[in-house]
Amino acid sequence: MNAVEIKNLSKNFGPKQAVCGLDMTVPMGAIYGFIGENGSGKSTTEKMICGLIPTSGGSIKLYGKEYTDEDVRAKMGVLIEAPGCFAGLTVFDNMMLQAENLGIANAEQEVIKVLKMVRMEGSAGNKYKNCSLGMKQRVGIAMALLGAPTLLVLDEPLNGLDADGMRIMREVFTDIIKDGKRSIIISSHLLGELQKVATHYGIIRHGKMIAQMTADELDASCRTYVAIQSAEMNKTKILLGCKYSRVEEDEAGYLRVYDMTTPEEIVSYLYQNGICVTEIKTDKIGLEEYYIDLMNGGKR
Amino acid sequence: MNNTPEIKFESPTFAKRIKGMLGVDFYRLFNTPLFYIFLAIAAIIPAMVSAMTTMLGPDGNQITLYTNVWQIIASSRTLYVIEGIADYANMNMVFIFGGIMVSIFIGHDYKSGYVKQLFTTHAKKEDYMISKTIVCAFAMACMCVTYFIGGTVGGLLVQYDTAVNVGSLLIAIFGKIIMSVGWASLYTFLNVIFRRYFGVSVASSFFFGTGILIIGAAAIVEGLNLPTGFLNIFLYGASVNANLSSNIGSLITCIVVSGAWAVIYNIAGTHILNKCDVY
Repeated sequence: MNAVEIKNLSKNFGPKQAVCGLDMTVPMGAIYGFIGENGSGKSTTEKMICGLIPTSGGSIKLYGKEYTDEDVRAKMGVLIEAPGCFAGLTVFDNMMLQAENLGIANAEQEVIKVLKMVRMEGSAGNKYKNCSLGMKQRVGIAMALLGAPTLLVLDEPLNGLDADGMRIMREVFTDIIKDGKRSIIISSHLLGELQKVATHYGIIRHGKMIAQMTADELDASCRTYVAIQSAEMNKTKILLGCKYSRVEEDEAGYLRVYDMTTPEEIVSYLYQNGICVTEIKTDKIGLEEYYIDLMNGGKR
Repeated sequence: MNNTPEIKFESPTFAKRIKGMLGVDFYRLFNTPLFYIFLAIAAIIPAMVSAMTTMLGPDGNQITLYTNVWQIIASSRTLYVIEGIADYANMNMVFIFGGIMVSIFIGHDYKSGYVKQLFTTHAKKEDYMISKTIVCAFAMACMCVTYFIGGTVGGLLVQYDTAVNVGSLLIAIFGKIIMSVGWASLYTFLNVIFRRYFGVSVASSFFFGTGILIIGAAAIVEGLNLPTGFLNIFLYGASVNANLSSNIGSLITCIVVSGAWAVIYNIAGTHILNKCDVY
């Protein structure tokens, strides 16, 4: 049984088709990285999963039941756009209200436990309006975690978090899926961070799922390249360009050769042409580059 | 062997859901300055209106709005069409203050993203309508009480006559408190419709709260010398029907009309929430 099974989902806003014929499968125990450009239909899909907007067609099944099933919905956690906190109340009070809404027994202990998970127990007495962006994001995630939901839907949960905050959230997410029952859908533009936790990926474009894969499949799909630095980069680039079909300079100042070759072969070729290589390594493209390539029509 | 982990799903009962929602809404109500500001407004306005009678008008004569303390609470008879500010300035004004307060209260639900959290885990939208109606009706009932205190104190200070049929006065007060339920459901419904546009929500609540549509309709009906009793089926009509010459029939009218509209608006609001997007 999958946590989420979407078939041929569509959503129209007047004449505009935001989602069209989308298929999506989130297995149980998965952290599903949901990726797409701005306006690609990620948030719309997430809102449909959460029952916040009605679908125009297709089906959504959550744990084998209709997405409108109140039993399944009662065990969901969500962070979409705003966390649902009232500005004039403290973090703790906001959490307690959410716990009351969810009918959680021993609400106080549960709230403290969740606040500890996101390292916000020290700021529980702060008014929500006085919290920083990162703190608000942590509170939003904590709200979604209340009641041990089986399915978490988090829209850009890593926005505004500092490095430590991101590390903590990675730990929290990984810990949640340990039992193999709970699943998380995370949409984020921070692909580097997403790659550290996601077990599955879905890439959406213009309202259609263009790729779905596991982390292992992504790893296998990501090409290897050879990165080089030399004393004469311009000359090196020209020389490599003469022999290899795809040579690009990256942000760190390395020349990348994407052709099937070995570092030894490149060093030898450049040495013969009077170039001394100062650094050479092999690496794989990451999720971010894979995604950009896919958006550009699978250039790499 | 099937390795799929077993998951048990169980949603809370209606009683548990509504208890949780009411708990949240009442907590918010009592912890927002907005509620106390509107309670104070409801007390101050009738006192101020009473104080106006101590002032001199443009012609140099003392302004006489009322002759009796309790006219500040309710009109002497059923007046669908008002002839002056005194006919209008009674406890019915609470429904205007209440409309604005409800708009702000529900507006915060949408602005903060609270409804997204709520509607994700609470599939049944009627819970929201019921909870908001109850809490907002309670808030308006409290405003009726502070209005009564403010109006009575103000009226006594300017030494109005206090003679009244106590039974009718009590029916008028309870009738208007009961009407709070119907008005609260109307405002909740309006705010569900205009959930994306906070300003429109406030304006529409104010517009309907003034009863201007019924006042206009009543003027036409009276002009045509037609019976006006049917206007009591509307919230404003039933509200003005609870006055200082009320009898038990007026109270029953208030209960039936308020209850019926509350059901209608709750069903309509639930339908809209089920069919429309949550922003």
